[in-house]
Amino acid sequence: MLKRTRAGLAGLAVFTLVAAACGGGAELTCESDGDVGDVGIGLAYDIGGRGDQSFNDLAAAALDKACSEGNVTAQELEPAAGGENREENLRLLAEEGYGFLVPVGFAYQDIVGGIADNPDTAEDESKTGVAEDFPNQLFAIVDGPSSGSNVVGIVFAEHEGSFLVGAAAAVKSETNTIGFIGGVNVPLIQKFQAGFEAGVAHINPDAEVIVQYLTEPPDFTGFNDPAKGKEAAVGMYDRGADIVFHAAGGSGGGLFEAAKERSDATGSKVWAIGVDSDQINIVDDDLKPYILTSMVKRVDVAVGQVIDSYVAGESIGGQTLAFDLSVDGVGYSTTGNNVDDISAQLDDLKAQIISGAIVVPDTP
Amino acid sequence: MSTARDVAEQIPPDRGRPLPDLLHDRRLRLLLLASAVLLLGGVVARATSAQELTSSGTFGAAFRFAMPVMLAGLGGLYAERSGVINIGLEGMMIAGTWFGAWGGWQFGPWYGVLFGVLGGALFGLIHAIATVTFAVDHIVSGVAINALALGGMRFLSTVVYDNVPGAGVTQSPRTAPIDTLSIPFLSGGDLFGWRSPDMLGWIEDRSWVFLSDAAAVVSGVTKGVSWLTLVALALVPLSWWLLWRTPWGLRLRSCGENPYAAESLGVNVLRMKYYAVVTSGGLAGLGGAYLVLVQAGIYREAQTAGRGFIGLAAMLFGNYQPTGVLGGAALFGFADALRIRQTSAVHALLLLVGILLAMFALWTVYRLQLQRGLAIAAFAVGFILWFALTDDVPPEFVPMTPYVVTLLVLSLASQRLRMPAADGLRYRKGEAV
Repeated sequence: MLKRTRAGLAGLAVFTLVAAACGGGAELTCESDGDVGDVGIGLAYDIGGRGDQSFNDLAAAALDKACSEGNVTAQELEPAAGGENREENLRLLAEEGYGFLVPVGFAYQDIVGGIADNPDTAEDESKTGVAEDFPNQLFAIVDGPSSGSNVVGIVFAEHEGSFLVGAAAAVKSETNTIGFIGGVNVPLIQKFQAGFEAGVAHINPDAEVIVQYLTEPPDFTGFNDPAKGKEAAVGMYDRGADIVFHAAGGSGGGLFEAAKERSDATGSKVWAIGVDSDQINIVDDDLKPYILTSMVKRVDVAVGQVIDSYVAGESIGGQTLAFDLSVDGVGYSTTGNNVDDISAQLDDLKAQIISGAIVVPDTP
Repeated sequence: MSTARDVAEQIPPDRGRPLPDLLHDRRLRLLLLASAVLLLGGVVARATSAQELTSSGTFGAAFRFAMPVMLAGLGGLYAERSGVINIGLEGMMIAGTWFGAWGGWQFGPWYGVLFGVLGGALFGLIHAIATVTFAVDHIVSGVAINALALGGMRFLSTVVYDNVPGAGVTQSPRTAPIDTLSIPFLSGGDLFGWRSPDMLGWIEDRSWVFLSDAAAVVSGVTKGVSWLTLVALALVPLSWWLLWRTPWGLRLRSCGENPYAAESLGVNVLRMKYYAVVTSGGLAGLGGAYLVLVQAGIYREAQTAGRGFIGLAAMLFGNYQPTGVLGGAALFGFADALRIRQTSAVHALLLLVGILLAMFALWTVYRLQLQRGLAIAAFAVGFILWFALTDDVPPEFVPMTPYVVTLLVLSLASQRLRMPAADGLRYRKGEAV
């Protein structure tokens, strides 16, 4: 009987492994077949991976572009839904010998740079970063600063882009109450909040901004829980907000649902503002009319640029590249033509930020 | 809170001073307790400008947050009452979200509900085959189900949502919503195309202590309620009736208490366990479908965010009783709703909990249970001091609120929680000693 139990267990375990291993979405065009060519790129996604309609897809787009242009071989890996094998993936790609490794997302910061460098968690001195263990390979971390001579940091001025959509919201709001939904209460998302609040206050100092985070670290489900996103938005609309901006990744879908539901139920229109990509292009047709604009973060431009630099053989290690308004690394989208009437005003603000006349805070 | 009372109900008042005659009716006692909580809540909300503490919006959201947790908890109830521990509820719920979204996208929301139930039931069946037929350890099988569901749904997404606009490996296309219902006159529902007045809304806007708060509670559960919510709620009395008032339910429960005795009386224990575990999966799957079709409008990978496990906690909290599961889920739902709608209101909750505990302590002392009363009073003073000495709850602590409250209730209620006697034990036909 024991035998039967074991057989059942083993069968179940195998089934699990097979099902779990069958990941992967749309294909990479220049996938290396085990042989890393002269120019090899390893891309380690964050949760969601290729096909997430957001952040990861923008990085994938940059890689696809590089594939189509040059003599590049590449491999991409994405973590499990909980993200616990991020480091494993990155190490695997490094061990395979890819010369240029792109970990996508701020969650890779400690993995690339080593926990010892982080004063908050410095008790674990023995832990070294992947970049320190592979000193002859170049790493480019998206959403993180450089942590060594072989690491290129890519950071975005999210606060500057958020300032512009905040200003747009303040101009468009009729109730002078505006909402901000953050996915997880981490410094990166607080940057969005700070810029957004500053943008609202610049146009209308009397307007109220209701701020709500969905989860607290280390619980990162707030980026992936549209039910919470929707209830947070409903709460803000209940309290009189007529425009809500989200920096909550996949939870943002709930905000768009809430905007539609509220507009349909009361007959007076409320708006949502998207984030990262130009979200009006990727949501369902029924939800498009409720998206005022999106705070776009050009991960595709940034990743494309560092890949080009690497392919061209430029020495970029050790630098932290800032993608801000001046290089159009961030900005606001005009799809849907909802902000056409105020674009002159927004572009004027943009020019003032670039010239330094307006300094946007990056912490709330 | 009601659950603590339910449990207390089963205890004869053998210690301390007896209850006053007036309070012998359990329903009246519950009603009085609920009114007191609401009255205090209203006062605290006004005193601390935590208006969301008793707003109809919060009650409505609490209700919606509670439903998936309650359905998973009910699922757990069926399985454990038949003697099978179901750690796999989370995985079954994940299957429910995926199949619910797929069915909703392909054929319409109600088909989504059907497919969600079937998807969950499928994983329930796998759990039943593993634990009942092959006698695999229940925990091991449950953990495997959770991993299997996550990976399996990812796999299905890559196959089904390849090149579907708006969808990808981690999300489905948008699903159409299920219709909602508002009661005419009471909550401003439509009557033959005419929008009736919203009486409760009017009372709530007046901001009268207690009256407005009571109106908010009723408004929260009668305004814009999804039809699927009503279906889910109906499952609570239905489950109670099935499990405690039918021969089928008696057989099912006897399998969880003493399967060999049941077997000796001619009950087909293996079959009963199969029924129970598949039902369990179906209910968890329904919870997943609810999450997608009512709450989110879209499937996102891993969007269940542990709701299946919370369902398991709600079941334990509810002492393996359907109404208890509902109570536990409501508590979690309220904490979630309050936190999501107005985080600062959680600070006011400290004061409310402190005052309630203080009243509970007085009551306990009145019943001459001095030691217990002192312990509770210490908690009460702690909460009130915490409220008085701080301006807000540190954000790291906010998500813990439901768990802290649960722990408090569990530790303060008399420990009369009892799991089915043969829960989690391996059963082999004809092995009775």
